Amino acid sequence: MDIVLRAALAFAFIFFLTRIVGRRELSSLEPFDLILLIVLGDLVQQGVTQSDYSVTGLILAAGTIAMMQAFVAYLNFRFKRVRVVLDGEPIVLIEDGRVLTRNVHRERLTRHELEEQARLSQIDSLDKVRWAVLETSGAISFIPKN
Amino acid sequence: MADQPDGIVLTRHRDLQGRQWHPWVRRALVCLVALVLLLALLGFVGQSTSTTTTDAAAATLAVNAPSAVRGGLLYQARFTVMAHQELQHATLVLNEGWIEGLTVNTIEPGPVNEASRNGDLALELGHLAAGAKYVLFMDYQVNPTTVGSRTLHLELDDGEQPVASLTRQLRIWP
Repeated sequence: MDIVLRAALAFAFIFFLTRIVGRRELSSLEPFDLILLIVLGDLVQQGVTQSDYSVTGLILAAGTIAMMQAFVAYLNFRFKRVRVVLDGEPIVLIEDGRVLTRNVHRERLTRHELEEQARLSQIDSLDKVRWAVLETSGAISFIPKN
Repeated sequence: MADQPDGIVLTRHRDLQGRQWHPWVRRALVCLVALVLLLALLGFVGQSTSTTTTDAAAATLAVNAPSAVRGGLLYQARFTVMAHQELQHATLVLNEGWIEGLTVNTIEPGPVNEASRNGDLALELGHLAAGAKYVLFMDYQVNPTTVGSRTLHLELDDGEQPVASLTRQLRIWP
């Protein structure tokens, strides 16, 4: 029983952390982030399975995390208010080439990062952006001016 | 002004109406996590040691061990007996809190004899001359399923005669 509880708690805590850390921090996977991700996975595994090396333990832990994920996905799908809490909401960063400084600062973004993301979307100047939106996934979507 | 993309509500997603307080919630939650880490640095969740001592006419009894540990951790308890008088059959009597849900990896030096005394663990140390000092080490590992707070009682007997006793708490975090 305890392994199911530990897996559920680990899922809830990691979910909680990802919500409070900030979406931008989680959307990029640079080499350091990748290493952190692996280290985090190892730490979580130790806390969940501890000294249990059994296949039963694996099934219980993985099954619990899968069920929790399915449950969260269902809540997201079924309840709009819960979706706002679990996923967050998009935020407009650029409108008609004008950077909305307050919104950008709120997400701890710099103009330099915006320009970098725009270049990745084949946009060479923020002036050419009609809309830029920080999506709930942490990605920035750019809609260029016609 | 450009028409907004589908799914974007300007008052909510651009002007942030009704969302002004959201960053404060996030900051508060980050502070909450930081507080937990601070408590950990202060030893609240283990495993810094503390010493409990009791003085009696015949002997002084002391225990140095963590008062908080976590599942799976290895730790050590050190029992020190300072005999003020001769003890013919010095015996440490540990209640079940010292054993239940914990794995005892080793006891050094090995006691002369081990026995159960009304459910408690009796470790016979042998003869102690007046002025003698006896140090016993018990190395533990916390079983992963063990959680909660418990009272640890320790008694030093001379044979069946209680000489000194002490009580301390152990909190086991999951």
